[in-house]
Amino acid sequence: MLAYSQLSYVGQIQNVDFGTNRADAVLFRVEHRAPDLTRRWYLAPEALYGDSIISRGTMEYDVDVHRNRVVVARNDALDDQIAFDDNFGLLLRNYKAELAPDTSVAGRRAFQVLLVNKYTGETVIRLSLDAQTKLVLEKDRFGSNGSVTSQMRFEQIRYTAVPTQVFDVPSGFTHVRGQDEGLPSNDLQALVKTAGFRALGPKYLPDGFLPIAGELNNVKGVRTLHLMYSDGLRTVSLFENARGAAVDMSRYTVHSTKLQSRDAQYVRDGPTTLLAWSDGVLHFALVGELTLGELLRIGASV
Amino acid sequence: MTEHLANQTLIDYMHAGLGPEQDAHVYAHIESCAACRSDYDAELALTDMLRTYATRETRELPSSVKAEIWERIRAARPSPLRNLADWLRPAVTLPVAAALALGIYFGTSYLGPHGTAPIDAAYYLQDHAALNSTVPFSDRATANAADLESSSASKPQNAVAVTASYTAGTNP
Repeated sequence: MLAYSQLSYVGQIQNVDFGTNRADAVLFRVEHRAPDLTRRWYLAPEALYGDSIISRGTMEYDVDVHRNRVVVARNDALDDQIAFDDNFGLLLRNYKAELAPDTSVAGRRAFQVLLVNKYTGETVIRLSLDAQTKLVLEKDRFGSNGSVTSQMRFEQIRYTAVPTQVFDVPSGFTHVRGQDEGLPSNDLQALVKTAGFRALGPKYLPDGFLPIAGELNNVKGVRTLHLMYSDGLRTVSLFENARGAAVDMSRYTVHSTKLQSRDAQYVRDGPTTLLAWSDGVLHFALVGELTLGELLRIGASV
Repeated sequence: MTEHLANQTLIDYMHAGLGPEQDAHVYAHIESCAACRSDYDAELALTDMLRTYATRETRELPSSVKAEIWERIRAARPSPLRNLADWLRPAVTLPVAAALALGIYFGTSYLGPHGTAPIDAAYYLQDHAALNSTVPFSDRATANAADLESSSASKPQNAVAVTASYTAGTNP
């Protein structure tokens, strides 16, 4: 068997996000040369056809042929082994891995592994790993009601050498500097102190959830604190600002609800729900792949 | 020989999740019980396999690209002249005027005390996805300026990861 880090392959992948009433599918060709060169070339939907993303280590080049530009960004978080190990440890504390009967994906025999939440007994992710190479050929993510919320699946795969020229960034495009993702550190208290307002956090989190990361952003001149909580697989983000900047949901179908006695609004974007409200001083937005009921409970505890 | 260990006990042992006494018991047991040792090794191998995959090899669509798709779909709207013509029809203008009046009356409190311009919901969705990148089995989202430029001018000032010592119930 090839060492995992030595696998090179070409294939075609279909990603589907299942929303409440519709599914959004994206089809792309993937070329990967070990250890860290990858190109995704989009075939569908039409709006993306011809675009590609070239990853060279932590650098990403989004080739946008429609606007004749390449957006260049660095994501150091991908190389942050310490943060990754912490979060993988969190996953292992909250989930157990169970083997399911073998299956076949893209003509290859695959092991199936279920990641089951220890507290709820729910299967959150099902992985199908190539029996020979251990590459994940299919990944299904399930919602709390058991429905599939997203699926990644290789339609075709062939293990082969891929020439390095494939991963060259094409010339003749305007280069635009994208937003770099910095390395996380472990100083949440310092972050909260620099927020410039008295930040609040939730007193309730679902079983197994802990804060894993945070950042302070300047959005349209409004200092916005972003705290992220996770159980190792599922995540929820709490955003807050003290400048009275509410959430513009005009591009979405907005639903009204109550957060205890406060008015709140929420929108759904595929499996993700955004819940927004204000306590009169701070404006909050809670974003996550949890149920609305769980988000409301978290929000009510802030 | 005591009875065989439950699978969950082996998993908890592997993740150092047992108390000292039970931990010592499991250690002694798997030293002497081939069946439990085999189960334990299988769990170790499975975990190792997952870790290997989760470290690097997600081949999903970055959230930034999903956002881009929707940005383009939303941008593909009728021309401004066509929109204006549609809006000037009496059947539209009257209800819109009424809605605007209600919006102004009820909406000011939602804008907040300072009347600051609202932040696009897309920003929150994309930033949530971007910070997901160290979570195992995430889609390795990479937000970029192109995705955010339509809704906000965002620049991260600081980023932190939080150790697992936090307890729910205390404000950060």
